Amino acid sequence: MNILETKDLHHDFSGLKVLFGINLQIEEGERHAVIGPNGAGKTTLFNTITGTYHPSKGKVFFKGKDITGYKPHKLARIGMGRSFQITSTFTRLTAFQNIRLAILAKHGIRFNLFRHVDKMKDITRETEKMLERVNLINERNVPAGLLSYGKSRALEISMAMATDPELILLDEFAAGMSRDETHNAVALIRKMTEGKTVVIIEHDMDVVFSLADRITVLHYGKILATGKPDDIRDNQDVKDAYLGDLQV
Amino acid sequence: MMKKTIKPILWLALLVILIFFPKLFGVYYTNVFVTFAIFATYAVAVNVLLGYTGLLSFGHAMFFGAGGYGTALALKHIDGLALMPAIGIGFLAAMLLALVLAPLVTRVSGTAFAMIHLAFGQLFYILALKLRHITGGEDGIGNFPIPAFTIPGLISIPLKGDPVNFYYLAIVIMGLSLWLMWFFTKTPFGQIQVGIRDNEKRIDYLGYKIPQTKAIIYVVSGAFSGLAGCIYGLFHNLVSADGSLGAMISFSPIIAAMVGGVGSFFGPIWGTAVFQVIEELTHRFTDRVELVMGVILILVVMFAPSGITGAVNTMKMKWHAYTASKAKMEKTS
Repeated sequence: MNILETKDLHHDFSGLKVLFGINLQIEEGERHAVIGPNGAGKTTLFNTITGTYHPSKGKVFFKGKDITGYKPHKLARIGMGRSFQITSTFTRLTAFQNIRLAILAKHGIRFNLFRHVDKMKDITRETEKMLERVNLINERNVPAGLLSYGKSRALEISMAMATDPELILLDEFAAGMSRDETHNAVALIRKMTEGKTVVIIEHDMDVVFSLADRITVLHYGKILATGKPDDIRDNQDVKDAYLGDLQV
Repeated sequence: MMKKTIKPILWLALLVILIFFPKLFGVYYTNVFVTFAIFATYAVAVNVLLGYTGLLSFGHAMFFGAGGYGTALALKHIDGLALMPAIGIGFLAAMLLALVLAPLVTRVSGTAFAMIHLAFGQLFYILALKLRHITGGEDGIGNFPIPAFTIPGLISIPLKGDPVNFYYLAIVIMGLSLWLMWFFTKTPFGQIQVGIRDNEKRIDYLGYKIPQTKAIIYVVSGAFSGLAGCIYGLFHNLVSADGSLGAMISFSPIIAAMVGGVGSFFGPIWGTAVFQVIEELTHRFTDRVELVMGVILILVVMFAPSGITGAVNTMKMKWHAYTASKAKMEKTS
């Protein structure tokens, strides 16, 4: 079954056309990578799916339901989470408080004005468990703005996953990471997304080919090819447009 | 561990000082302290928006005034109205005003938010001047009856013309307001609030509704500003356009919050205290109090941008770093 589906999705920024009729199908439980050259429209695709932009034409379906034009908070509540290409954490809050906000959101604790948040033991325990899983427990009380780059990326990714969404969209999670950090991040994502559906945008082909079950290649706002990693590697169109002829 | 035992003792000491304040310092300083308590609460209410949510309002005087005018009008026109309902009317008037404005103002932020408030603040100021038959124009509403604080069948404490009794009423109400606002910042909702300040987009993607969240914070801030204004009106037995709705009423809590430190809950209280002391001292030499305050604000912005509390924290951190490095040096040598 397709957990996410876009039908003839178009988007233009007041005249500048970026997406031309995208028909994307994401199967439940798979790890799907979206690749393509700079300016292909990958992030715009994410933004139209997750409600940052309203698509100018076409529809988006999530779990069979038409969610076109839903606002981000509504999508978050029905089980869609995302991370950002540019790290987007609460810089003045500690790592613990960052994750805790996601955990509170997961439990639907929003307008609670009658309890001291530090005294909610279940929330604290769950947050600490999460911090342990993502290896941030030593940085528990460090403000997110002061974390090292790799650590703040890890926080970024774990915040997207802490709300326990069914579908996670990760926008270039490894951007700017060192080899070691990338390696750790890939391991982290493998561990954290067990049994979930993940869509990633990525430029690092090692990451893409090691993580993805299926790949979609985007080129100038159109889907060039979709398929298993091996098929994509051998696809002549993809080679011409993006991968090049050098054998990986 | 030391801290845990010291803290309750300090609070207890504060409580004792507050109880015996009128006896220790006399009527004049008791009145000064009431003014301080009112403006400290008001500054904290403004800071709930400014420091915790990152929204700067240049027109909070309209809430301060709404509270004052609400209570004054109610006491003037309703015969035999008791004290607590009158204060409640002031509180609700400010709350209602915030509720009406919330759908509009929560959709903007930054400069637009500040400017809209400047406009609304001035609008209410002009309205109070022009609607003479209701508000008394420039003269305001003065000498309205102030009922005694009564618990039916138990006690009746007269307030009019009794500064000491009024002191206790003001301190209890302001103390309670401060505690409620402090608790507000500690709830899960308070966490969402600082989240909005740091990163609105992320809060949205976590599944929180931003305008609704902002609206609640806005109403809380407006209502407590109104409560401060209401006690202020009762304290002077007068509400007037300049005294309760003027532009300085909007700016002074912002200045106090900035001097004290917007990043902390208690910062605005320290800031208000500093200004009270300076005002007392300057008044002995000149009436140009604003001149001195302006200079201090400039100095703080230049040399301690995070205010008094920020500067103290930085010093603390430096001291810890210094002692830590010293201990390390001793260990190695």
